[in-house]
Formats: sequence, structure tokens, C-alpha cells
Amino acid sequence: MNANAVGKIIFTAEEIQQKVAETGQIIDADYQGRELVVISVLKGSFYFLADLTRHLTIPLSIDFLSIKAFPDETNKTGVVKFVKDLDLSITGKHVLLVEDVVGTGLTLAYICQHLEAAKPASLKICSLLDNPSERLLTINIDYCCFLMPDQFVVGYGLDYQEKYRNLPYIAAYKREK
Amino acid sequence: MVFLTISRQTGSLGKEIAGLLAKKLDLPLITHDVVVNQWLPEIADKHETHMLKESPGFYLNLSSQGLTFAKHIEDKLKSYISEQPAIVFGLGAQIIFSRHPEAIHVRIIASDEVRTGRIMHDLRLDRSNAERFLELTDRKHKRYISTIYHRDWSDPSLYGITLNTDFIGIEEGAALLAYYARNKQFYSPAAESPSQDGKKPIIFKHPSEEEFAGILDMYHLDWEYEPRTFPIRWDEEGNVTMAFSPDFYLPRFNTFIELTTMNQKYTSEKKKKVELLKQLYPGTNINIVFKNDFYSLLERFGIRKDLRNEC
Repeated sequence: MNANAVGKIIFTAEEIQQKVAETGQIIDADYQGRELVVISVLKGSFYFLADLTRHLTIPLSIDFLSIKAFPDETNKTGVVKFVKDLDLSITGKHVLLVEDVVGTGLTLAYICQHLEAAKPASLKICSLLDNPSERLLTINIDYCCFLMPDQFVVGYGLDYQEKYRNLPYIAAYKREK
Repeated sequence: MVFLTISRQTGSLGKEIAGLLAKKLDLPLITHDVVVNQWLPEIADKHETHMLKESPGFYLNLSSQGLTFAKHIEDKLKSYISEQPAIVFGLGAQIIFSRHPEAIHVRIIASDEVRTGRIMHDLRLDRSNAERFLELTDRKHKRYISTIYHRDWSDPSLYGITLNTDFIGIEEGAALLAYYARNKQFYSPAAESPSQDGKKPIIFKHPSEEEFAGILDMYHLDWEYEPRTFPIRWDEEGNVTMAFSPDFYLPRFNTFIELTTMNQKYTSEKKKKVELLKQLYPGTNINIVFKNDFYSLLERFGIRKDLRNEC
């Protein structure tokens, strides 16, 4: 691990807090009079979830999902599975899925398929970072804080080999080849 | 190993087309003469050979080998075809190999008027004798098939392709069948028939498409391979001059995906096609996966343990 690999700060802690607060207020207004289940996809979005939900005044529940890719001898690309499913029932409820980064949309599509199978009253997506140029699937991101810069980033929940999640800002990171 | 069976009406140019086709495809041509001169002598004496020429019913008699002459021919044909492709001319081969996945069953016909004219010319017969000649030969063909195989020789369901040579010449007919036979190697019904799980097996045009399908499967995302072709350019007469078939369609997300992993010089051409498609079919969601993105996608799934942050 090379601490010097953390480069330029892309989004400062203040910028992040301000944007998260603005996004929270928009969501809060949109869901007035309704109860919400906010779902975070572990681990990258847990700081974002914590800060975002503290700007919501509507009644809400929080739950977590975690997925992982497993190698599969019968399929060279492996298989994606939930390693932690929801504890709460979302059937008939308004659901807000909180993501750290949306790129190709493949992971998000997998999760959305799973959530939609439970027949929630509604399902919206909120992402800290969005990279629409990388998108393969047509998925609407309802709330987005920042566009993903054209480089690998760490901090504010985003990691490189499980490190740097606790940085209060988002910074560029030069990965080891 | 594709092979052909050819059944023809006399005067339809079937024999000539079969001969030229054999040359074009460099395949042996198995005819009635081959059977009579090479295969039947193995089990038939002189008298039996004579009787076989006279009566289809004699093919059902037992030979000295303990099997019928018809069965002997059938076994010889099957044995021959199992070792190498060929063109089988007549002999009820369209029925013997009716279920063979690599067989192309061709019937060559022509109208009575055209056939009569050809027979009059070739055999120097007057019209009534030419008509009588055709009537007799048709009856013999029909009787052979109905006696031995209990099928109607003219049943169109026995054939995959029927050529009417009223409007098609020898060269044209042979070229048409040669083209079909060569392409049949890649589009055999066997490959398109449903598999045990009820789905048609997919034949990908490029290995990268198969790898991408694997990634979609990894995420349990339903996909279809090249389900639709979009015409994107027409000539002044309304004929389609350019069409585009995106590689994948994900129905749940109403999204087409096109891979461009080949030579990059084709990328700009493909981009233009996609732009044209979007203009002509507004509201169609289509995304291109470029070469570098595709390989980084593969690399991601090959080496990463955790999917977060990048997906």
C-alpha cells in the first residue's frame, strides 16, 4: 500500500457535505407525507447514507444489501450473489436505493431486479457519483451528487483494497499496476 | 458435413444441375448407375439385377445376404455418407435421410409444358410421344418411392428446397444450391433447434460476444442475441441498402448493446450507424461498448474480488 498514491482532492469534505445536504433536502421534499425505506449497498455508500439520511425529516427505515462476485468453475466469469439480503420487507413501500458509484449499471440492474421482485410501491435511486458515459443499460438515476471524474478515486466510503474509505474527501488515486 | 439429396422430374434439368453442382462442390455424385454397377453386384446375381431394373417391388425381396435389396442400398448410402459428404441423386435418399440434420433435400421440377418441350428437343420426339414418355417416367419414380417407402414422391414436405427450372438455368440452379450448401455449414437446423432446456443454442459471431454474454449471465440479466435488425438506409426504389443488428438486447431495460471489439478502424463506421439508428428510431436505447471498455470490463471480472466502486 502506498500512501503517496492518494493524489489531488477532487471533492472536498465541505463540497461533499453541502451537496449531500442539498440532495437530502430535495429527497425530503419529494417524499413528504410518505414513509421511506432507504437501502444502502455495502460497503461504499455507508458514509453517504449516514450523512444523507440525517438531512431527511420524513419517517424512514434503513437497511443494507451486500453483493459479491464468486468464481464459478462452470462459468469463467463467475456469478454474482447477495451475501447480505434485506432484513426489512419492502413490499408496498417506497424505497430509495443509495449507491456510491453508478458506472456500467450492471450491478445496479442486478440489485434493482432483486428489489423490484419484492414489489415495492416505488423504487428510486440516489448515487453519490454517476458515470453516465460508462453506462451500458438504460437506468434512470433519480438523485445524483457528483459526476464521476475520469480517474480512479478513493475516500468518503470509496476504497482501494479496503483502504481510504474513511477519508472525509474524495481524492484521485494512482493504482498499482 | 453437409450433403445433398436431389430428386428430380425428368425434363427438369435436375440431372444436369446435379452434375454441375457436384463439380462446383467437388463432391462425388451417387446415382442409380453407381448402385447398379457397384453396390448391387455385392448381393445380387445377374437375374436379380435384371429384375431390380424391371420392378420396384423386387427391391423388397430378400437377397442371399438375408436383407432386402432396398435395405442394402440404404445401409450402403448411410455408410458412405457417414464417411464423406456427397450428392445422392434419386434412390429415395430424401426419405432415407429425412431426419438427418446435415442433409439438404432438393427437388427439381418444371412445368409439364417446359418438360415436354425439352424432351421433344433432346429425344427428338413429337409432342404426344414426349408427353407419354414423361407420364411413364413420372409414374416409375412415383412407384419406386411409394412401393419401398410408402411415401408420395411429390410430397413437398420431403424437400427443403424446390427449384422450378422454368425460370432457372443449369448454371444458375447449380450456383444457387452450391451457395446454400456452403452456407449451410454455418446455419444448420441442428444448431438452431431447441436445446434440452427449451432455448435455442446461440451461435456467436465473435468470441467477445460470448464473453459479454457471460458477464450478463453473471448478473442474471436476461438478454437476447441479435433479436432485431434495423434498416437504416434505402435506395430510391425503397430497397434496404444498409441495416444494423445490435448484438444484444436486454428486454427488462429496453436497451440494445453493440460491442466494437474488432479493428478500431470500423469503430467510426459503427458509431455512424448507431447515430443513424437513433435518428430513424427515436426512443431506441442503444449503447456501444468500445474495445478498451470491453477489456477493462473483462479484466475487472477476472481479477476483482469486490464489485463495488467501479460498477
